[in-house]
Amino acid sequence: MASATNNPSTAQSGVPTPEETQLRESLKRCSPAVVEAAVRYRATKDVQLVPTVVLGIIERFLEPGAAERLRHADDDVRVIEDLGLDSLTLMEAVILIEEVVQISINNDELRSLRTVGDIKVFIDHKVRGLPPPQPSKYLPLEQVAAVMPQQPPFLFVREATLSSAWATGTYTITGDETFLAGHFKDNPIFPASIMLEALGQLAVLYLLEAPSSQLGAPVDPKTIFFTGAEGVRCHRVCRPGDVLKLSVKPKRLRMPLATFEGHIRVGQERAAVAEEVSLTFGFLVEAPKSAEPAPQAASTPPAS
Amino acid sequence: MGSPRVFVTGLGFITSIGLDRASVVDSLRHLRHGIARYAPFEGADSPVKLLATVKGFEVDSPDFEDWKVPAGYTLRREVMRSLAPNGVYAWCAMQQCIADAGLAPAEISNPDTGLYAASGGSPMLLFRQMVKMNEVGVMRCPPTGIVASIAGTLNFNLVAGFKILGASTGFSSACASSGHAMGFAYDEIRLGRQKRMFVVGGEDCNRESMLPFAGMRALSVQTDPTKASRPFDAARDGFVGTGGAVVMLLESEDEVLRRGATVYCEFLGWGQGSDGHSVAMSHPQGLGLKLAMERALAASGVAPAEVDYINAHATSTPIGDVSELRAIKAVFGEGGTRPWVSSTKALTGHGLSLSSVMEAAFCATALKEGFTPGSAHIEKLDPEAAGVAILRETLPEAPRVAVSNSSGFGGANVTVVLRRA
Repeated sequence: MASATNNPSTAQSGVPTPEETQLRESLKRCSPAVVEAAVRYRATKDVQLVPTVVLGIIERFLEPGAAERLRHADDDVRVIEDLGLDSLTLMEAVILIEEVVQISINNDELRSLRTVGDIKVFIDHKVRGLPPPQPSKYLPLEQVAAVMPQQPPFLFVREATLSSAWATGTYTITGDETFLAGHFKDNPIFPASIMLEALGQLAVLYLLEAPSSQLGAPVDPKTIFFTGAEGVRCHRVCRPGDVLKLSVKPKRLRMPLATFEGHIRVGQERAAVAEEVSLTFGFLVEAPKSAEPAPQAASTPPAS
Repeated sequence: MGSPRVFVTGLGFITSIGLDRASVVDSLRHLRHGIARYAPFEGADSPVKLLATVKGFEVDSPDFEDWKVPAGYTLRREVMRSLAPNGVYAWCAMQQCIADAGLAPAEISNPDTGLYAASGGSPMLLFRQMVKMNEVGVMRCPPTGIVASIAGTLNFNLVAGFKILGASTGFSSACASSGHAMGFAYDEIRLGRQKRMFVVGGEDCNRESMLPFAGMRALSVQTDPTKASRPFDAARDGFVGTGGAVVMLLESEDEVLRRGATVYCEFLGWGQGSDGHSVAMSHPQGLGLKLAMERALAASGVAPAEVDYINAHATSTPIGDVSELRAIKAVFGEGGTRPWVSSTKALTGHGLSLSSVMEAAFCATALKEGFTPGSAHIEKLDPEAAGVAILRETLPEAPRVAVSNSSGFGGANVTVVLRRA
């Protein structure tokens, strides 16, 4: 690394260094743009180039259809479930990323990389020499139900993945929802108002459970209420059998107001967008510092 | 209830003399060999120039993503990455065997179907992995490096890839390995533990898998492909290496009847014996092989006089061929008229872990398709062969009972007995 040139043009005009030759050999199945980005990164250490290199390496391991998907993917696309990489292939990709951007990733860190966004953020922290970000966390239905103030039959988030910067979740329309009997007569269509509710519920889950959220203190679930929504549009009629893929990202978080943008997709189709969903919230009442934690237990959700 | 009879009901061939049954049979009938000059042996560092190559596959690169297989086979990247070259051959031979036997997916993946395999692993991949480990560190090595390269690579990959749920393991007795695999697979069915067993033999066919045998002085240094592998010839000077893969399917009589399967032959029985003599050389009198043949015949209920054909292990080495001739004479007498004896290694080269199941599969096709393969390339018969009926041309008639011998390092010997169905 000490021998790497600081001038990117040297590598391009002169004879490639053995290091560059090795780099090009390692990346020979990546697109030319990715190879050039990697060569420039080695020369300049410009962290702006890292996402191109990282996504290019992941893409090289994907089936053609999935590669196309990656190119148009949001950061919340999951590499195993959505892109079809198996865990061994993810490991192959990570080993190549390690080699190319000259970092090391340990097993625990590797296990925490679930989404494209996780990988991008993680590698970005690594190359900048920052401590690794909090990994995203996955909550199955039981855990979602355990922390949410909403409960069945009025719980519209069935599983969720939370990171410090976003939350994703799903809700499968079963057809057994009682309101579908009347919405509409002989024509069950999932109400747009409930789609907005689902996004709001995912935002509630983010406030309660997101890792290293920027809020600074635990939120009291009893204090969270809907205040408003802006720019809500529906693009697709949703019916029993559809799997709603929910995602929210915080835009502003400042006690007592949290504003999120939200999206719902079904498969690859956009179903609904909310430019802003706003909630009020309050922190759990602080117990006196250094007091025993026991008195607080009563004010937290029973199962937490 | 007696022990179930066992039949050969499917075969798959990726060999130096053909990539399917039809071309293999054609080569055996016309004594067409698969031996060629091999580019990686052209250098002055290699005293050996010939290899019985597997045509149509490009699997010499250490990078599996460079590999190419013949048209008609597709191996996904996730499959290929944990395979050795011999695993690629075996994967294709499995597909052939399954199609040949007409097995539905549920007939492959169930608790009554198992798979036994034999492969020497992949010295080439193991070596590349060690070089990479030393040069760039173990954490940059491919996570599938071990399962692709160590000796169990065939059973690991095929059991997982074809979703085998019954008995599975690998055998490691060098050139007798797939003979042991066949024998114990037969036993699984005889004992009622399994109804159906795949038997797989495979070897790489490259510089790293073959050239080390030159260091043992075991390989022929001939440059003429028609003179290099000539078992029983007085001037033989060593074997020619080969690789590839062969898959044999064994099924119980009940399954044969239930499926209405086409049968190649009956697998009558097997036997084994060891030399207790030398780690690398066979016993001069063929002690262990004699015992293996006697036991195989006894287990099969077949008298020596009933055997029509022996597919010899004979690899074309000076010492090994003589040992086998002496063992054959000890078991079958020295009348010199029967049974016919030939070594198909004159055509195929010696496939190490692959050879035993490959040669038993040749016998199975001979029994079904009506021929007896000859022993090619003999100019002047070794005097030791006097009293043994060496068959020098392929006969257009099938034996009724065929025996196939195999001998491995350490003096491990296996004999299997097959009968026309």
